[in-house]
Amino acid sequence: MFRYILKKLRFYELLKQDEKQQTEAEQTSKTSKTSQTAQTAQTAQPPLSKSLEENLKALQDVAESNDFVIRRFVFGKRIHAAIVYIDGLIDKELVNENVLKPLMRINLLDNSELPPSIDIDYVKDAMLFVGDIEAQSAFDEVIGKILSGDTAFLMDGSDKAMLISLKGWKMRGIDEPQTESVVRGPREGFTETLRINTSMIRRKIKNTDLKFETVKIGQRTKTDVCIVYIKGLAKSELIEEIRQRLGRIKTDAILESGYIEQYIEDAPFSIFSTVANSEKPDKVAAKLLEGRAAILVDGSPFVLTVPMVFLESFQSAEDYYSRPFFSSEIRILRFVAFFISILAPALYVAMSAFHQELIPTPLLLSMASAHEGIPFPAVAEAAIMLYFLEILREAGVRLPRPIGQAVSIVGALVIGQAAVSAGLIGAPMVIVIAITAVSSFTVPAQTDSESIIRIALLILAGFLGGFGIAIGLLVVLIHLASLRSFGTPYLMPLAPFSRSGMKDAFTRAPLWDMIRRPRGMAQDDIRQDRSSKPSPPKDDEEKPKGTVSEGSL
Amino acid sequence: MRICGRLLKVVVCILLILGFCGCWDSRELNKLAIVMGMGIDRGDDPGTLQFTAQVINVGEIRTAGENGGGGGQGKGYVNFEDTGNTVFSTIRDITNQSSRKLYFAHNQILIFGRSVAEEGVTKYLDFFLRDPETRLNVYILVAQDSARDVLNVESNIENIPAQNIKSMVEEESAFTSQTIAVRLYEFKDSLLVKTKAAVAPIVEISQGSDGNISKINGTAVFKGDKLVGTLNKTEGRGLLWVLGKVKSGIIEARTPQGSLVSMETVRADGKFSSEITDDGKVKVTISIREEGNLGEQEGPENLSDLSEVAYLEQQKNNVIKSEVMAAIRKAQELDADVFGFGESIHHKYPKEWAAMEDNWDELFQQIEVEVKVDAKLRLTGRISVPAVPE
Repeated sequence: MFRYILKKLRFYELLKQDEKQQTEAEQTSKTSKTSQTAQTAQTAQPPLSKSLEENLKALQDVAESNDFVIRRFVFGKRIHAAIVYIDGLIDKELVNENVLKPLMRINLLDNSELPPSIDIDYVKDAMLFVGDIEAQSAFDEVIGKILSGDTAFLMDGSDKAMLISLKGWKMRGIDEPQTESVVRGPREGFTETLRINTSMIRRKIKNTDLKFETVKIGQRTKTDVCIVYIKGLAKSELIEEIRQRLGRIKTDAILESGYIEQYIEDAPFSIFSTVANSEKPDKVAAKLLEGRAAILVDGSPFVLTVPMVFLESFQSAEDYYSRPFFSSEIRILRFVAFFISILAPALYVAMSAFHQELIPTPLLLSMASAHEGIPFPAVAEAAIMLYFLEILREAGVRLPRPIGQAVSIVGALVIGQAAVSAGLIGAPMVIVIAITAVSSFTVPAQTDSESIIRIALLILAGFLGGFGIAIGLLVVLIHLASLRSFGTPYLMPLAPFSRSGMKDAFTRAPLWDMIRRPRGMAQDDIRQDRSSKPSPPKDDEEKPKGTVSEGSL
Repeated sequence: MRICGRLLKVVVCILLILGFCGCWDSRELNKLAIVMGMGIDRGDDPGTLQFTAQVINVGEIRTAGENGGGGGQGKGYVNFEDTGNTVFSTIRDITNQSSRKLYFAHNQILIFGRSVAEEGVTKYLDFFLRDPETRLNVYILVAQDSARDVLNVESNIENIPAQNIKSMVEEESAFTSQTIAVRLYEFKDSLLVKTKAAVAPIVEISQGSDGNISKINGTAVFKGDKLVGTLNKTEGRGLLWVLGKVKSGIIEARTPQGSLVSMETVRADGKFSSEITDDGKVKVTISIREEGNLGEQEGPENLSDLSEVAYLEQQKNNVIKSEVMAAIRKAQELDADVFGFGESIHHKYPKEWAAMEDNWDELFQQIEVEVKVDAKLRLTGRISVPAVPE
């Protein structure tokens, strides 16, 4: 029921979306006057002056901070110049070696050996040992680039600055992702640095059609957000939609991809996420190859992929790396675990308080004897234990790891055991909650929604029994069917039904049999040729049955 | 305001659904008195009945479980008794003695005392067919004497007498097939057919080595809704052969040399077809197929020889035939069509039946029966020749 209310609210919000955006934009501008001025300044784009001193003074005025470094020097015995950078964002050794050294060495040459005239283009073309270099004359662009780690080279008499990209800062290495560990498959995970992340995707897909598009979002943080897609696979409408939604974000800070997710998702009032995320380059590459698009955010190892369908939550990268039989078994197991995780407490309460006739007699007797003397009704018992479970989990996640373990031991053993022997909680209820808890970890993508559905169903079961569960599940189902993610129905390939999609739904067909990409996702549906099925070589001449040919031995 | 209105509509719609789902309520497990068995006897005053409900004593069951099942300090059950005029009012009156409301969905058996069975059971059945909480698959039994006493006989193995009796009925019909296991809906179906006689197993109290024990012995035969007589074990199995309900059982026979052999039935099937002969009599052809294994032999003969097997099969044929004939004779003696021969005539000759229905009792007495038995002996068990040959 709660979900339904949310859905209604969402419709309402969609109707009023435009007005809301306007008011939002107004609010932002009101709250931060500085950003407004910055914005207006940006649109004016004042150029650099020809005087080095004026430029440096202007830079100094804007970036008054002690990590802002200006190094003046003279080269060619007469030309005053400076490099400007942020300390800590550049690789100093490389800058010394490839910028300062070649420039200042020509001071040692005789006058006759000096080039006759030195302008800034000559410096770029003949004197700097750097690949990534760009001329820029707009003052704010220069500031922006310096802030993101470029080194600016300015010289007297030139109204252009050379932006030299020799970035280098301390960063975390490439680790195994914590959230999606695999037994078989690549173990590298994305890092917090955008460029490294794009390179990891590029290394998986060596194709010129793989496109990266970067935009800066956040008036203060100026975070790089990168749209990744494969041209010719991803639908152009999808990319256009992503660009538009990103363009609509008017906020001052983007610190994590979760921010972006919340600004661009289709159903902000739904408990189901309509934007998927992953820490694994191989997974993101696979999704790109299905025609989806990815959004990388600088500073976050979590890469967003859109559109997302519900069944994606039940897929794991490893499903495709191990052979289809075991993968299919595990898929089915995940679905079972998902339903256990949302239904187990509700069903237990409904059966034990409403539908005792559904329980086999011997089981009823042991349940009844376990419930004898328990002071709470079953629904209260379940709610207490569920809340306790959530507290335990939260405590375990937030605390430092060694203490976290202690929490689980105290929680699980001491409290669980003690509550049963003190007669506060029935032993079967502890088992039900334990099964629920364990099951909820098998589908990590839906852990949040599972937790909410579980409690809602439990309350419905407590008031209405099995009818409550039926109503709750129907509302969830209707809601799921109403969701869309970037134009794709959330329940694809179940509704609308797609036969080829079912090959990768509850079970996974062999890779050679999945000839088509998910329906409606990509521009080009055919993934591979029909002849990919492996088979042993066929002999031309017929051999008598039952004899083994020598050649095969 | 608009969302509020729409929300209200949704909520009202959901609430309206709730009205359609019948009769239910939340009852916690520790507010239930789970009834496992019920007995109906005649009350002391004329026209009254005495009702016995066997309710599980949940607390005692738990102590038994926690102590490793050592018999417990108290009984695992409580018998509530009350007398009244109707079943429903008597059941409700039990609430005066019990802190919890009786819960019938897990009731296993319904026992009629001999006194009420002889008087007629129809008037007591109505409640059990009408009430939504009771189940139609409870086993119906008739007590040799009083149902109340049967429910008071403790079992050494099971915690609860009702559970014990229910298991006995099931095991008995599965392994010896000497009396029929009848559930409430089957019993009711038999009562619905005017010419068919309902049957139910009889439970009696007998002296065991360790006090009284309850025991399934024989089959009660109803004419209309009144108990008129009983079938013994042989006749009971005869009935089951005809109905095709024999699941297993032991047949004893003698070898040519005169030693006893017991053979186990593993598969059996029986059916009958009836026809009206030219002289207006009813002829019933019963065909029974049986397959079994050699289970035990007394003597030293080698019975795995084909001629011996054929001989034993013939012996089995005879035994089965005699059991069937015994059942038919007894049924004719009681004037009760326990087999449903009349109903099969009804199905086959609907026009003629109208004239026959009223004098079916006479026709049943003169019925001509042909029994065809095809018994097979398949295996000889782990050994083929006896351990000590001649």
